[in-house]
Amino acid sequence: MNAALIASESLGKFSREGFDAFVARRIDPIWLTEKRRSVWETFDAMDWPNPRDENWMRSDLRGFKLDKFTPVDETLTLEPTAAPVRLRDGVDMGGDISSVNGLVISQSLDPELAAKGVVFCSLSKACRDHAELVKKHLHSLIDSAADRFAALEAAMWSDGVFLYVPRNVVVEKPLHLHSAMVDGGIDLAHTLVVLEEGAQATVLTECSSEVEQGSGFHCGGVELILGARSNLRFVSLQDWGQKVWAFAHQKASVGQDATIQWTVAAMGSRFAQVDQQVELVAPGASSYVNGVMFTRDRQHLTYNTIQRHCSQHCTSDFLYKSVLQDRSRTVWRGMIKVDEGADKTDGYQRNDNLMLSDHARADSIPGLEIKADDVRCTHGSTSGRVDEELIFYAQTRGFTRHEAVLMIVTGFFQQIFDRITIESVREALGAAIARQVRQVD
Amino acid sequence: MYHSVCNLSDLKPNVPVTFEVDDRFVLVTLIDGEVYCIDDVCTHDGGTLGEGEVDGNCIACPRHGAKFDLRSGDALCMPATEPTCSHDVKVDSGTVLVQLRD
Ligand code: FES
Repeated sequence: MNAALIASESLGKFSREGFDAFVARRIDPIWLTEKRRSVWETFDAMDWPNPRDENWMRSDLRGFKLDKFTPVDETLTLEPTAAPVRLRDGVDMGGDISSVNGLVISQSLDPELAAKGVVFCSLSKACRDHAELVKKHLHSLIDSAADRFAALEAAMWSDGVFLYVPRNVVVEKPLHLHSAMVDGGIDLAHTLVVLEEGAQATVLTECSSEVEQGSGFHCGGVELILGARSNLRFVSLQDWGQKVWAFAHQKASVGQDATIQWTVAAMGSRFAQVDQQVELVAPGASSYVNGVMFTRDRQHLTYNTIQRHCSQHCTSDFLYKSVLQDRSRTVWRGMIKVDEGADKTDGYQRNDNLMLSDHARADSIPGLEIKADDVRCTHGSTSGRVDEELIFYAQTRGFTRHEAVLMIVTGFFQQIFDRITIESVREALGAAIARQVRQVD
Repeated sequence: MYHSVCNLSDLKPNVPVTFEVDDRFVLVTLIDGEVYCIDDVCTHDGGTLGEGEVDGNCIACPRHGAKFDLRSGDALCMPATEPTCSHDVKVDSGTVLVQLRD
């Protein structure tokens, strides 16, 4: 192979040359380019996560090869894909953004909201048009040195979404984001949401692949910053193709008397590892997190969640439920951290798992780390196999086995559905769950 | 479907070698002239066996010491209680071929 060919090949990779070419192609402001360059050095100096690290010891990364993927070329014009969109049906959206392979291809926002000062646009555009705001908040919550994936995302995110809601502005209609990936594609995207004091918004995000069995690489970041008395409902539906490797760091910071309701549904990808954190940073902050995982085949999904109480009189409530089929595996590690002085904390976490097959496996690892005296923190976990008697009973009533299982699964998730306040999301989730149900073997 | 993984001459007796076959990692070992293949996954907590210590026909998981039979995948000692999957192997003109069971 001649030298020129080697050079042009490495341009397309996640190498230093590939990074330099990526930065050169972009029209980023100087502060951002500098930030990218410094995090790239961190990425370059780091190793992949150590399998002895508690966060990664149940994650077999041997099959993941970064070299198989190519950084996206933002000079290309990408066409919309046929990747399914599930959360938009029948909902009157206040704004809508679509991306393909981590690049925004269309964006819209209700002019009335724009007139109130709401910003909802591509993150790359926001870096140019709202530099001061973005500069202040981007990667302010997520530690870019947390692991090599966080560093890669911080250095090479290609686009994403920026939502800014000014003081006391209430965005009634939901805002929607759909991220699509083509087979073999990548998605390095970042979502940044900033609600000022007293602001309110609902954000529905979802991702899917053009091909159900599609492969790819997602490495993402989500930062949600809630000012005092603000209220955010944030929904994310992960439905990547069945061969996608997905890594994400997601973190919210909740201000005084502010509330976040965060719903997560994870169905897709071959391997996914998500670090999700909510920090309650001022008195009276509350967070309600609902998680649904539904897996099949040999999928392996991991959620490491942390609910951190940094201040007094805060409430956190995490409920994760998983249903597992075939030889799939889920790992949920939940941690309630209560800082010194964070008295009158009310923290709750729970993880329930329902196995529909003998070969599925769910690991549930709840934890508490409490440094304050006057707190109430509770956690619980259950795991069990589907009750054959229930299925038999339903069958004697004329239901097929498949219908019976679907009823049981829906009943199992009901507690989560009851906590979701947006009807269209409940319906979309119900439909997504119904599609996943297989016959019990 | 059989996948070719290596030449028979590449294998040394009782030294397991890890291969990636169809997105899975397996251990291929030559024992008493026969070639065997098991999942490179410990059934206790999903650890990788490949770097574990080998004693005759058995390999110990480096994480908590569970032992598995390199021929059958049987769990031989706590904390593993379930066998790891074993796969079909054949040798064709000096090439080792592996077919994954479920
Ligand atoms: S993971 Fe192998 S013994 Fe525990």
